Amino acid sequence: MKKFVALQVCALIVISGALGGMFAFTPVYDEVRSGIVLVLCLSCLKLEPKAIANFTFATVDNQSHPAFVLENLSQGVVFLHYSGDSCVGCDIMYPVIKDLFSVEFGKTDMFHTRVAFGNTSVGYVYVNIHHTIDELRDSQRIYDKDHVGGIPMFTIVTLGYDHGKVKPKYTTVYGTFTTYGYETYEERLLFLQLLIQDSITMYNQNKAGYPHH
Amino acid sequence: MKLQLKRLISQIILFFSANLGYPNAPGLKTGFCYPFFYCQACPSATAACPLRSLEQSVDQGNVTWRLLLFPLLIIGFLGVLTGRAVCGWACPIGLLQRGTGTVARRVKKFSFARKLGTYKAERYLRYIKYGLLIGFVFVTSYLIGFIFTDICPVGFLTGTIPVILLNPGKFVPNYFFPVALVILILFLVLILLIERGWCRYFCPVGALLAPFNKISFLHIAVETKECVHCNVCSYECPMGIDVANMHRDPECILCGKCVTACPNELITFERRGR
Repeated sequence: MKKFVALQVCALIVISGALGGMFAFTPVYDEVRSGIVLVLCLSCLKLEPKAIANFTFATVDNQSHPAFVLENLSQGVVFLHYSGDSCVGCDIMYPVIKDLFSVEFGKTDMFHTRVAFGNTSVGYVYVNIHHTIDELRDSQRIYDKDHVGGIPMFTIVTLGYDHGKVKPKYTTVYGTFTTYGYETYEERLLFLQLLIQDSITMYNQNKAGYPHH
Repeated sequence: MKLQLKRLISQIILFFSANLGYPNAPGLKTGFCYPFFYCQACPSATAACPLRSLEQSVDQGNVTWRLLLFPLLIIGFLGVLTGRAVCGWACPIGLLQRGTGTVARRVKKFSFARKLGTYKAERYLRYIKYGLLIGFVFVTSYLIGFIFTDICPVGFLTGTIPVILLNPGKFVPNYFFPVALVILILFLVLILLIERGWCRYFCPVGALLAPFNKISFLHIAVETKECVHCNVCSYECPMGIDVANMHRDPECILCGKCVTACPNELITFERRGR
């Protein structure tokens, strides 16, 4: 009897000690909150958002554009790719993006590069929300224009003319694009190519008026 | 206050506690994992599903020890203290099955349904949940990246359906939707036919909690020497356990129905020891 109670007490001490240690010395609480609770995997939700790929000036809650986006925007269009672990939709889109820009990177990498696209260049930023820094992770909420709160998510930031001023303008598309009518690898690739081409055209029309250019 | 009323109040309070995350009402989104089965995709979810964290911890061969240990330790902490009482007193899906249990008891009067719960192979079916936990939560996540939460009926019920209802016209089904819908229908049929059918045979979180019944402080004790084997306790048990002959049964959810039912008061909650 006493041995059994000792076993119970030991188990409780070991488990509570380990749990307390995890809270105190690891970032696991923040990882679960920001990587699982706040951002959903759309394939996990079994749904695709029915959004429209239109460009807008209005960020969510009128938050300002992150510094890293503005910095890249002075050189050209910026493509933000939000992905995550254990996400089937992200796995479907991962090879499409790699081929779109002819780049190689690991799924858990923090990856940023400028890539040639036609006769111009695009700033490509890969954000795996489970393996990144707060500034990049938080930018997902700024550009989640349809309040989907899920991944995969793709944002293209370009320039637009608004009441006499040239400002950053963006669009965000979600999921695996089935709701936009694109269900194959080739269709997804072509959809993104056309979207980037549009954003480059807009950028070229407005870049002369962009104060940071 | 009657024990079963206390349990109902506990289940209702914990159901609301699990749903404090709806934006601005009050919008509490924490970094904890639930110690029971509930989906973080629910628009009002307060915490993460433990299975999602486990899947993510072994995603395609990349083991993240923090995400693996975190839900296991939360479940382990409560498991050592109270065993599987979490299933009986806290789990919202347990609360749902408490409701469907009334129907299942009525269905049990039909011979085909009675056979379902008493068939010889029934006790072996209870191992399915361990298979699901290892096979669908760990192995497939580790090897191919396919995950249980993509087809999870509880996720569909508590995540997908509320999201569709709260955002009409904003979402359309993806490729997992039809499969998950069929599984949800089977889930509903199961819990309407067999009392606590999900907990008995399929719940992977129950599979995580079950072994802790063997060492938990809180457990159900039966005075077997004085028992007259009237079997009232076993009849009342929603998990279909042979209560009179049980000793720290991993299937026991400590709901206390047997405690209330025993005419000789030989079944009690014990707080420590064997």
